Amino acid sequence: MPTLAELQAAMCDVSLGGDAALLVPVIIGDGFAPEQRLNIHRNNTTILLSDALGATYSVVQKLVGEDFFNAVARLFVRAQPPRSPCLFEYGAGFADFLATLPAAQDLPYLADVARLEWCWNEAFHAPDVVPLTSADLADVAPDCYGNLVFTPHPSLRLLASPFPVKEIWDINQCGADPQASVSLDEGPQSLVMLRPRGSVEMIELSPGGFVLSEHLARGATLEQAFVAASDVETQFDPASTLAVLIGAGAFHRHALKS
Amino acid sequence: MMDPTDHTERSLVSPIPARAGIGLKAQHYQEIIDTKPDIGWLEVHSENYMCAGGPTQNWLNAMRERYPISLHGVGMSLGTAGPLDSAHLERLVALERHVEPGWVSEHLSWSIAAGVYLNDLIALPYTEETLGVFSEHVGEMQDALNRRVLIENPSSYLRYAHSVIPEPEFLLEVTRLSGCAVLLDVNNVFVSAMNHGFDPVQYLDQIPAELIGEIHLGGHSQTVIDGRTIRIDDHGSRVCDEVWNLYAHLIARVGPTPTLIEWDSNIPELDVLVAEAAKADAIMAKLHQFAFRQTSEEVRHANPG
Repeated sequence: MPTLAELQAAMCDVSLGGDAALLVPVIIGDGFAPEQRLNIHRNNTTILLSDALGATYSVVQKLVGEDFFNAVARLFVRAQPPRSPCLFEYGAGFADFLATLPAAQDLPYLADVARLEWCWNEAFHAPDVVPLTSADLADVAPDCYGNLVFTPHPSLRLLASPFPVKEIWDINQCGADPQASVSLDEGPQSLVMLRPRGSVEMIELSPGGFVLSEHLARGATLEQAFVAASDVETQFDPASTLAVLIGAGAFHRHALKS
Repeated sequence: MMDPTDHTERSLVSPIPARAGIGLKAQHYQEIIDTKPDIGWLEVHSENYMCAGGPTQNWLNAMRERYPISLHGVGMSLGTAGPLDSAHLERLVALERHVEPGWVSEHLSWSIAAGVYLNDLIALPYTEETLGVFSEHVGEMQDALNRRVLIENPSSYLRYAHSVIPEPEFLLEVTRLSGCAVLLDVNNVFVSAMNHGFDPVQYLDQIPAELIGEIHLGGHSQTVIDGRTIRIDDHGSRVCDEVWNLYAHLIARVGPTPTLIEWDSNIPELDVLVAEAAKADAIMAKLHQFAFRQTSEEVRHANPG
């Protein structure tokens, strides 16, 4: 007779695709093979977790079709099952998993679309805090601007891709024009995603604007961020990017670093 | 074995009335706010609302201003050997403090092994070992929440050769050891009875009225494997006639009781759920000529011993 812990370890393995042979003596068949009864649980786990992934990665699912998605989700569920019962947190590694999958190599943008959907998902469930406004910066003397540092809004996410992922995402939303198409020549794209208020917003930035945002989000001073941004974009204008970020609610607090 | 703390005296802000409610689904949020259907209460899956912020929580806030809420957990895995997931329990406590629900419930099952969450409510072997593990975990959950919780009987597809205690007896032992009450899922009793060949009426009749805090009704499907039918509890259709008959049998004995219509897959229009809830209300009214005034007060204040 197995202990409860032994039984659960063995059934967990079976539900994730493992061999059921060890458990056969423990399960009462009663008209079925024990494997058939265990298979109901294997299916529950596979199907319900694949559905949870499909809810988070609905555009990926639409791009590859349901059958392909379910096959890939099944592999992912078995390789990286959830560690938390809160399934809105499940699937962080899905984009990297897609990137390594030989069957998905024909769609080079797929992993980045998944990265976008994960950023969107994280922004959607992030804490609600009041964003910084331009009025909050009114007291900062202009000659101190270089020393400004910001606490990012908890919903802020950054994504750079060689592909036009926002356009791909847009045309695969409910209610989008079914005739619309995207040329991959439209990329690359640098995005910030955030949800300071009701819904998640996506904003496209210039390459310099993206580097500036990345550095600010990591706690660099505005001057350090500007220097880094100028390396990738000549004649970079930090004021306009900063105005866009603050207007969108990308920051929570500011401080002056001495 | 253990000395149950009496959590039955805590007064509740918004008790669940003894009438029918429905499971809250995201696709119905706006319509419920707009039309305010005549239902007694709403049940939500706790795990869906454990996010740090965002629109999901705002919807729940809007609902709790309009309806009593029952928190139904699917992730505590009280039947798992080893310690409970304390981080998850903390999140549940925070949600409970915020929502102030009429009831908090969980399942007589397990879903986690070695830290992996299988998203499946799996039957337990009913042994002395399991009884100890499960009752301790219910006690821990109640102590953390500082309230009495409801434990739901499972639907099951398999039984274990070393399982020695009949399920209703096991459930009643858990209530005695931990002081919890019962969420009696009539559909689960029927599904398990059909899958394992026991009498569902006899099962229902064993659960004392004063222990039943809430009743669940839902739909299930039938799958044929090698010419034999097995019933799968997928909450994806209307409540079947046999389950309605069992429900009427139960209500005739226990009186009006908070009753949930569960529908979690192939989710229909809101009207369909509201009509199923009205059907449960009508059964309670017909059997007891009662206008849904009673609350679950009696259960919550009943002595668990």
